[in-house]
Amino acid sequence: MSGVNLSGIVKSYGAMQVVHGIDLTVAEKEFVVLVGPSGCGKSTTLRMIAGLEEITAGDLTIHERRVNRVAPKDRDVAMVFQNYALYPHLNVADNMAFGLRIRKMPKDEIKQTIDDVAEILGLTNYLDRRPADLSGGQRQRVAMGRAIVRHPKVFLFDEPLSNLDAKLRTQMRAEIKRLHNRLGVTSVYVTHDQVEAMTLADRIVVMNDGAIEQVGTPMELFNNPANTFVAGFLGSPPMNQMKGQLTENGALVGGTEIKVDGPTGSHAGRNVIVGIRPEHVTLTPGEGTSALPIALDLVEPLGSEALLHAHAGKEPLVFKADTLGDINHLNNVAEVHVPASLVKLFDAETGRALNLGA
Amino acid sequence: MAEEHTTAAGQSVEETFIEAKEAQRIRPDDGRWIRLFDHFRREWQIYAMLLPTIIWFLVFLYKPMYGLQIAFKDYSIFRGVAGSPWIGFEHFQTLFTNDQFLRAVGNTIKISALNLLFGFPAPIILALMFNEVLHATYKRTAQTIVYLPHFISSVIIAGIVITAFSPTAGIVNTIIGWFGLDPVYFLTQPQWFRPIFVGTGIWQEAGFGSIVFLAAIAGVNPSLYESAVVDGANRWQMMWKITIPSIMPTILIMLIIRIGNVMEVSFELVILLYQPSTYETADVVNTWIYRQGLQSGQYDLAAAGGLFNAVVAFVLVMTANTLSRRFSRTSLW
Repeated sequence: MSGVNLSGIVKSYGAMQVVHGIDLTVAEKEFVVLVGPSGCGKSTTLRMIAGLEEITAGDLTIHERRVNRVAPKDRDVAMVFQNYALYPHLNVADNMAFGLRIRKMPKDEIKQTIDDVAEILGLTNYLDRRPADLSGGQRQRVAMGRAIVRHPKVFLFDEPLSNLDAKLRTQMRAEIKRLHNRLGVTSVYVTHDQVEAMTLADRIVVMNDGAIEQVGTPMELFNNPANTFVAGFLGSPPMNQMKGQLTENGALVGGTEIKVDGPTGSHAGRNVIVGIRPEHVTLTPGEGTSALPIALDLVEPLGSEALLHAHAGKEPLVFKADTLGDINHLNNVAEVHVPASLVKLFDAETGRALNLGA
Repeated sequence: MAEEHTTAAGQSVEETFIEAKEAQRIRPDDGRWIRLFDHFRREWQIYAMLLPTIIWFLVFLYKPMYGLQIAFKDYSIFRGVAGSPWIGFEHFQTLFTNDQFLRAVGNTIKISALNLLFGFPAPIILALMFNEVLHATYKRTAQTIVYLPHFISSVIIAGIVITAFSPTAGIVNTIIGWFGLDPVYFLTQPQWFRPIFVGTGIWQEAGFGSIVFLAAIAGVNPSLYESAVVDGANRWQMMWKITIPSIMPTILIMLIIRIGNVMEVSFELVILLYQPSTYETADVVNTWIYRQGLQSGQYDLAAAGGLFNAVVAFVLVMTANTLSRRFSRTSLW
């Protein structure tokens, strides 16, 4: 049974179409993250699910019920907003009770529900405080509490952590994950932060320019990006994308031939983008690796590891290396090794992933 | 100061920049006066811009205060302010035994109370109504129409009111005539003065006054409404539970300012609309001061009346501000 199903969803503002026919099924209890750069249509898609934006074309169903024309309150969804959307004049308890009072839930039930959810979120001691008297993390918890008390069928999160500092974001990310595991409610989460997407999602939907680029589990997307956009969006730093040309025995990158997975002979001469993840580059040779001479530009120490910025021929290459407590030995690196099995190839014109074995 | 720079690492760039500027300009060995002079030399443009306002305050508000002392003197224009003899609170004793003055105080309070009761909520209600209008052109047209009376001079407003309530050709009496009733000369009847005066004030100022509240409404975070929509609130509930509480600080500030002006009933409009037959309900402190001071030449008694007015207004605004700060965390200062 699907939790949320989007079929050919289109959104236009006047003559301008901003979401171009999205097809997506979110399974019940699944946590799906919509990720993409600013303006890619992810928030608009979420707001269409919430009922805050009209759907221009297509069908939206929530738990098998078509809800295109259903008012937001009757869709049984709860939304957590980017800026929390807490009522500044109400205390925490009243903020959380707002939706329940509107629905005329009996007072004692409201109190019980608020107490239970406050307990889960660690807000019991803050129930009589106003939002202005809370920290960013506490406000975020109240915003989630307000959604949870409604016991909705679907949670919608619109970049809920983007206003928090890096440390708090990491902490709240874990809390959201724990909460989802505990409550098991279908969730659609929008973010532009690929780390949030990777850590939280059962499945990630990568969006670009109003369309879906790829849908899959975090590791599927990380290991087998469907195109250069996805390859460049996920991973920190993102996958290196170097211009190259297929040869009889591999691919020519920066004047050096490296081995790749699969037969290239029949494609020799084809222009490609060679994708190599920074963490797959090694300083020592291994089984199935190819040597790639580089000119080192910069070493950025990060503690246990360092980011090395270099060029292979004219192609820029960023990779990671262990510091072993010292970065001096990294200053003289002139050659790296690339495992053939982890090299990804993309068509130079379309940017789509190439499968040479097929 | 170097230590301050180190501790400023967690601050915003702007704060750090300001601190760096302060560190640059304030040398620890300099004396206080040298630092002050240094500060004026560096920031003279800001003080130059402030100067016209300071001069205005000095000339029109502080210098006249010198003349307030005549409220405690037997003032004679021939002896001047300084040469007139002190007589203590004699004028105030006269004031509080003067039936006309006490009647004027009572009228001022009653008219102000009516203004506060009906005139203060009017722009708020108007702003809330405008906020609910979705048709942009209709909204703009309606706003322009209700703003217009504010820009009309009080003399013309009074002329319109006198004409509208005229017993011969006024629209009000024409309408009354449609129902077979006799015309009423409203502006000569004391019982009609206050409703007409307060109503005129609302008609003239409610539209323009709504701008402040419309601006406050525009500042309400739109996601509060979106969140409420998802929670199931209708427009009526959103107005009561989000819009009004969100603009409450603005409402309270405007209320404090209004309370400070309680004794300042629109002097020109009263002068233009009242006549001896309506003094009973229309004569307010300011019109009484005008008659005593300028028409009867009792400047000292009029000054005592004006001082009384100012003290009452000061006490009221202080009280309102304190109460507002205590109960709603909102205050002017």
